[in-house]
Amino acid sequence: MAAKSTDHIKLGLFVMAGLAFLIVTLYLIGKDQDLFGNNFELRTRYANVQGLVVGNNVRYAGIEVGTVRKIEIISDREIEVCLVIHNKMKPFIKKTATTSIGSDGLMGNKVINIEPGIDGLAVAENDILPSRGAVNTDDMLRLLDHTNQDIAAIASSLKSTVSRINNSQGLWRLLEDSTIPMHISGSATQLQQAILRVSSMAADLQLIVADVKAGKGSLGKLLRDTAMAGAWQHTIDQLEQAGAVAGQLAARLDTTAQSLQVDITNGKGPVHVLLKDSLTAIHLSNSLRNIDLGTAAFQQNMEALKHHFLLRGYFRRQERLQQKAAKSEHGGAAMRTGP
Amino acid sequence: MFARESTTRLLSETGGLSAFTGRFFRNLFKPRFEAAEFVRQCLLIGYKSLPLIGLTAFIMGLVLTMQLRPSMIEYGVASQLPAMVGIAIIREIGPVITALIFAGKIGSSIGAELGSMKVTEQIDAMEVSGTNPFKYLVVTRVLACLFMLPVLVLLGDAISLYGSYIGVNIKGATSFSLFFTQVFDNLAFSDVLPAFIKSFFFGWAVGLIGCYKGYFSSKGTEGVGRSANSAVVVASIVIFLLDLLAVQVTDALGIN
Repeated sequence: MAAKSTDHIKLGLFVMAGLAFLIVTLYLIGKDQDLFGNNFELRTRYANVQGLVVGNNVRYAGIEVGTVRKIEIISDREIEVCLVIHNKMKPFIKKTATTSIGSDGLMGNKVINIEPGIDGLAVAENDILPSRGAVNTDDMLRLLDHTNQDIAAIASSLKSTVSRINNSQGLWRLLEDSTIPMHISGSATQLQQAILRVSSMAADLQLIVADVKAGKGSLGKLLRDTAMAGAWQHTIDQLEQAGAVAGQLAARLDTTAQSLQVDITNGKGPVHVLLKDSLTAIHLSNSLRNIDLGTAAFQQNMEALKHHFLLRGYFRRQERLQQKAAKSEHGGAAMRTGP
Repeated sequence: MFARESTTRLLSETGGLSAFTGRFFRNLFKPRFEAAEFVRQCLLIGYKSLPLIGLTAFIMGLVLTMQLRPSMIEYGVASQLPAMVGIAIIREIGPVITALIFAGKIGSSIGAELGSMKVTEQIDAMEVSGTNPFKYLVVTRVLACLFMLPVLVLLGDAISLYGSYIGVNIKGATSFSLFFTQVFDNLAFSDVLPAFIKSFFFGWAVGLIGCYKGYFSSKGTEGVGRSANSAVVVASIVIFLLDLLAVQVTDALGIN
């Protein structure tokens, strides 16, 4: 009888152990799916739930606070997701909180992330939280594909550039030329000297500018001297007056030229006679020819007088005096250039 | 000729087993339930099988974890090892392996026991003495198998998960609570309940086939050995067929 009782106890223990494991397992799974305890429901809406299923976790600021209870289509563009959230989270989730669908790792299950909102009232049962679009894996892959294409294009260009560099004889000659470093060194030295000169010039320029600022020198006076500025103003005034007089004179000359033009056009006045009258031109031409003839005759007469016995002595005396004067002038010049 | 004989034997066995099943259900609801024998059979079938089931389950969890680990590391999901092993053990490996070991131990035991009783005419003697041998021998054993295998599966799963925990910690460092949190976080009722329910069918099949093979044993002591052997073989095949059927049913019901 005692043995039978022991057997019963053993069997009882065996069965109880098995049932305990079953109950614990079911409780843990149920607890994980928020079947026990105090919970409340929230709702959120998406255009695309990206494979979210009932039972997926809900996280608030990274903490697991509930699960997805129900997913239903409410219109052709909106899907409503019902979330079961632990009651203790109620005071922390504000009405301004937003939800988004994320992923538990790169290949993990989908999760709903509730991002804490700015201060506001705490949510109530069945509130609808605003949702925002999350990074979709398809979008990421699409972007990655674009990036890959860009990288491939860049790599291709780079390959072409490197190939051209490799095939460039001029560049390799340049790189293999051992004198280039010396030239570069010399250029650097010259550049340094040039910089020193520029620096010196800048210092000089600074002094000049300082002098100009102080009103020293012509430029300084020009820019800073108020008396000179007054003189300049006076000069400018005078130039303006002279300009005005010149303008008046030009106007008079213009008037005169116009009256002359009128006279020439109307055939009046001496200018018209001088420029336009052909008879006067003939008379002038004849007079000039008579003067030429008269002058030639006078030249002949004068030559004849030089050979006349009464006047011949006078002309010879004049020649001798001229010769003397020439000699004396030549002697004086030789004395000045002598040793 | 051989194919014809095989087909005839298969059909004959199927018909005989079906009739035996009908007889089981008829006797199940007849009054005067053999409770004491049922409890004794539960102890023998369930409790006494625990060491063997526990040992194999522990080794199975340990080996499965260590075998999966390199592949999980290769795919960069080593942290998901507890979840993966947990789902594999609870959903499929635990019930099926436990049922197969159970068939090997209990199916053969029942077949041999009833077979020896048959060839020594103890069953006939029971009938003569006014005891319903079917109710006393078959119904109690089948019910014991039916109820004890699920318990063994549950305990086997628990021991297997513990073996997996040790396997994870052989080459890594995961705390006990983290391991079991990861296991249960990734389990759902649809993982546990179908596996638990199908283990009842496995137990029922093992008990029924063992009893059938033993109850209709013949040809003396040779027939006893043959009954024990065929009980294990047929029960193992039926376990796989039931598993296939179960996965189709759960899939059709959308709880897979």
